[in-house]
Amino acid sequence: MKALAGIAICAIVLMVPVAVLAGSGNGFDGVVTTLEHRYHAHATRIPFMGLISLVAHKASSGGVCGLHVAEFDEFTAQVDGDELNSIVEEKLGAGWQRMIRETSRHGNEQTLIFSRPEGQRMGLFILDLDGHEMDVVQISVDPDHLNQTIHKYNHQDGDADRSDDDSD
Amino acid sequence: MKNSIVAVLLAGVAVVLMGPALAVPALAQTSGLPLPTAVEKQLEAKASNVTEVTLDKTMLGFASKFLDKKDSDQANAKQLINGLDGIYVRDYEFDKEGQYSMEDVDNLRKQFAGGDWVPMVHVNEKKSGESTDILAKMVNGESRGMFILSAEPKELTIVLILGPIKMDQLGELGGLGGLGALGDINKTVKKADKTAAKGGGE
Repeated sequence: MKALAGIAICAIVLMVPVAVLAGSGNGFDGVVTTLEHRYHAHATRIPFMGLISLVAHKASSGGVCGLHVAEFDEFTAQVDGDELNSIVEEKLGAGWQRMIRETSRHGNEQTLIFSRPEGQRMGLFILDLDGHEMDVVQISVDPDHLNQTIHKYNHQDGDADRSDDDSD
Repeated sequence: MKNSIVAVLLAGVAVVLMGPALAVPALAQTSGLPLPTAVEKQLEAKASNVTEVTLDKTMLGFASKFLDKKDSDQANAKQLINGLDGIYVRDYEFDKEGQYSMEDVDNLRKQFAGGDWVPMVHVNEKKSGESTDILAKMVNGESRGMFILSAEPKELTIVLILGPIKMDQLGELGGLGGLGALGDINKTVKKADKTAAKGGGE
């Protein structure tokens, strides 16, 4: 009986920090929320994103899924590139690796692209600040499927171009 | 016996609960250009625009999937990329001339001086103040990497490619986003060859 009570106490003691850490929010939502707080800006979340993501998944034959989009309009805060990068790195969590970073000292132009292998898929996190607009996007892509879809449309374009040439 | 079961149970609970707790604070990994951070930080502090591209083997494998096997040019590039261990690009743009010094450039060159790195091309155009250095990492007579340093009065570009690559293959990487400028390196090399043949330049 004592042992069971010990397990329960241990579980509670260990659950507290886990719950606290989970509450701080990581991943896409964690990044967006932290940016909102840090720069006193409001992000517009696209409604029905889950549905849009599902449609994109079907339309791209599984090439694209897990879409998350947030848009900051009228983003007037001055941004320090290093700080922005640190916020994103910290809030994205483990496994993400920065692929591209473009930072401008003058004016608000910042681009960050992080990626994370997700089995056969690749997760991409993109943050782009241009002037007074900041867009934050997360997406999961399957390069093989996406490539097939891209090439399918490329070939269709090629066929259309050829038929245009023939008609001239 | 009872005690050992309790101990195992406790350990199990601890592992299950502590796992996420330990994972959450771990920061995103950012493996970068194998240069001392101080050199990068120094240049970054002076530059008005900085562009960094970091593609390790996993990312390159991912990027290569977007290249079409049926297209001969892209198939060659795909094969090349799959064999590489990493591509690192740093581009620093400055507002005014003289915001970085020759000492900065020399510090960068020094990082790759000696060892397996062999200088292949050094072009110094006195008129325009531009210079290009290309070094190859030679292991057992085979090229296992390339370091390109291009210095213009208001721009400094560093490209490091790790893995088996030859000079004439640089242009093939131009298809990868952000690496289009690599195609121009071949032109620079040819220009340097011509200048050397005429007996001018450095």
